[in-house]
Amino acid sequence: MSVKQTLAGLDVQSAIEMHYRAEVRLLQNGQYREWLTEMVDEDIHYWMPIYEQRLIRDRRPDPTPDDAAIYNDDYGELKQRVERLYSGTVWMEDPPSKIRYFVSNVEAFHAGDGEFDVFSNLAIYRNRRQLEMTVHTLGREDKLRQVGDGFKVFRRKLILDARVTQDKNLYFFC
Amino acid sequence: MPRIPNLVDNVEANQSREIFWDKDVYDLELERIFARSWLFLGHESLLPKPGDFITTYMAEDKVILSHQQDGSFRAFINSCTHRGNQICHADSGNAKAFVCNYHGWVFGQDGSLVDVPLETRCYHGQLDKEQLGAKHVRVETYKGFIFGCGDADAPGLEEYLGEFRWYLDTIWEGAGGGLELLGPPMKSILACNWKVPTENFVGDGYHVGWTHAGALLGIGGELAGLAGNRADIPFEDLGYQFTTRHGHGFGVINNAAAAIHVKRDGWAKYLADTRAEVGRKFGPEREELYVGHWNCSIFPSCSFLYGTNTFKVWHPRGPHEIEVWTYTMVPRDADAETKNSIQREASRSFGTAGTLESDDGENMSSATHVNRGTITRDGRIDSSMGVGFEGPHPIFPGIVGSSFIGETSHRGFYRFWKEMLDAPDWKTVKANDDTWDSIFTNRDYWSDKIDAAE
Repeated sequence: MSVKQTLAGLDVQSAIEMHYRAEVRLLQNGQYREWLTEMVDEDIHYWMPIYEQRLIRDRRPDPTPDDAAIYNDDYGELKQRVERLYSGTVWMEDPPSKIRYFVSNVEAFHAGDGEFDVFSNLAIYRNRRQLEMTVHTLGREDKLRQVGDGFKVFRRKLILDARVTQDKNLYFFC
Repeated sequence: MPRIPNLVDNVEANQSREIFWDKDVYDLELERIFARSWLFLGHESLLPKPGDFITTYMAEDKVILSHQQDGSFRAFINSCTHRGNQICHADSGNAKAFVCNYHGWVFGQDGSLVDVPLETRCYHGQLDKEQLGAKHVRVETYKGFIFGCGDADAPGLEEYLGEFRWYLDTIWEGAGGGLELLGPPMKSILACNWKVPTENFVGDGYHVGWTHAGALLGIGGELAGLAGNRADIPFEDLGYQFTTRHGHGFGVINNAAAAIHVKRDGWAKYLADTRAEVGRKFGPEREELYVGHWNCSIFPSCSFLYGTNTFKVWHPRGPHEIEVWTYTMVPRDADAETKNSIQREASRSFGTAGTLESDDGENMSSATHVNRGTITRDGRIDSSMGVGFEGPHPIFPGIVGSSFIGETSHRGFYRFWKEMLDAPDWKTVKANDDTWDSIFTNRDYWSDKIDAAE
């Protein structure tokens, strides 16, 4: 993250924060099709790379989209994931999980051409069945563009803090 | 195991539910299975240069696998021989030496103790460093896949894989380039007994149509007919199941290698371009296997899906929990774009957020945890599907089941699992080499079937 970038200003910052709140509302309500259609642009790269535990002296570069990743999706692939949840045959989501998102530390920067670089933190709580409760914390690096009076995301990099995922899977959107 | 006399019934083809729950069973598994079997450690492609290392597990033992200056590989227990602290906390890297964080003891790439801080002043010349190297385990490789074993009396890796190499060669050597693994692995915790996913991969073609109904409908293609078990499919013409001497086994769906991959052009072309050479080297039966989709487990706890090309290790963490590591298998000599596409598709389907993987975890966890109930646990679980529709085959080694939907390879897996638990040593196991497959009693199944077809 660069300190040289231009902050987007209070109006844009609060518009983006409101956009994120609406996004969370759609995801928490299970309105995945609406989320995809209205908040994700068709040139999306939705990416959750794998970060190894490495020594500080290890000079190997950070992962790129050509490396192993948990998510490395384009729009069609994301759509396929969304549609699976509407198939009526995803037994582990029936009864459905309860998932709650906490988005914080939102920082928005101008990136030119009505685009914004936005950094945020995510805490995600997933409750399933009787007693299962898992927590995931992530850093999120978005590129948003202004579309009409709202925003759409076209780059999303999700930086998972845990090396070993303490959950059955990471099949949820964030 | 005097308390539980009948963990596996090879005749009735069922098992005690204790095998997924009981701590005594698990402790015996650690001692008699994991400490005596060849366990997957890595692949040459994951640590290509001298000095490269990865840290992994052999069951609950932490080990460092290290590429030596002479090109060989060594593995040693990741614990300082002074006061036992873990030596290395990185997943991988390149190191001239490993320095323990506690008192600074230095271990070389080969695990030998090479330096001890303040040695002369504090140990007065009395420390025998040669005796204090990190504890080694045996390391052997087969076609680039690296395995470790904690038992000096175990047979070598090739004998341990045994006749299963006849099958593995088809893909681990293939047309010549063989396979490599792409990492770093995804890692996740799953609250299940380690045998639940292992048996699922060794031979559960049955769950595919139901567990993965939603994902298969989304993917479409060859396997869409399986979704929801709706289509009337002639299973006996579609594939086989195999089990071998040491419990290694797999099921194959013919002509379905790339079926789970949505974007598959590069991989499908690679298979089409190389299958004739595989047929020339290994014959028509193995050419057919080469373009099939395999669900496979190598005893005890390493599994892969050839075709989908996901590669898993189920590290046990007690009787009710595992750590799942997921790599991707790719042909060594494929172009970068094809490798990349295979890796993306394998992760999309069977990675931690995979469209099919996400269907399985729930079943594996609940198939384990229901057994905490005393009344529940006092019962059996059944693996009798296709008993009698299997036997020795004129061409395929081991025992061959008639369909990819059957439980031949479950039975072979649990047969050997029980044999290892019962055997005090490998000598006792070897004594069964000529009679191991007698539980599969229909000796004429394949000869009768082939005669009838002719």
